[in-house]
Amino acid sequence: MVGILLVSHSSKIAQGTLELVEQMTKGKVRIDIAAGTADNRLGTDAGMIKQKIEKIHSGDGVLVLVDLGSAVMSTELAIEKLDESLRSTTLIADAPFVEGAVVAALEASFGKSLEEVKKLTEDVKKYSKLG
Amino acid sequence: MIQRNVKISNKLGLHARPAAEFVEKANTFKSRISVEKDGKKVNAKSIIEILTLGAKYGCSIKITAEGEDEAEAVEALAKLLS
Repeated sequence: MVGILLVSHSSKIAQGTLELVEQMTKGKVRIDIAAGTADNRLGTDAGMIKQKIEKIHSGDGVLVLVDLGSAVMSTELAIEKLDESLRSTTLIADAPFVEGAVVAALEASFGKSLEEVKKLTEDVKKYSKLG
Repeated sequence: MIQRNVKISNKLGLHARPAAEFVEKANTFKSRISVEKDGKKVNAKSIIEILTLGAKYGCSIKITAEGEDEAEAVEALAKLLS
């Protein structure tokens, strides 16, 4: 199963999103968060992100959801440092954080491939919140 | 093609967890399945589309399935909402 990693500057944002997603997927998905800095400040930490990717990667890949700006850079740095076997199957989703997390987790729980989960997650951008 | 009108009797409506359960069930069928409410038609297999439908308790929706397992699909999905 594709793993989902939520990377946020704030552990509260990541934990709240995780809570929502887990309620919807009933704990069936390999999902974790890498949020805030090691000393509990707002920020992202490439070392923490790398460690979490390694933890949830089951061989089927990991899709990373990021919140703002430097979350992308920290995640790119983390991916660069991964072993080659994990590097090519760890991708960043270009998608809104909360909606993307919900879609990614649910589609992963259906057993879809990393490429399919990424595409469906990024398709979220096409939808208007107000319908 | 099979269609059925269903009134949502699940108190939570088609939100968050019930929506996820509905989409999960829809994904177990091969048929193309749609849900229509007030003239808006969405793909039953897409969580984001089902969530934008905003179907609440008491709403009437129309489930349409087309494919080899269309009858089972409509039956199972209607049952989830009742």
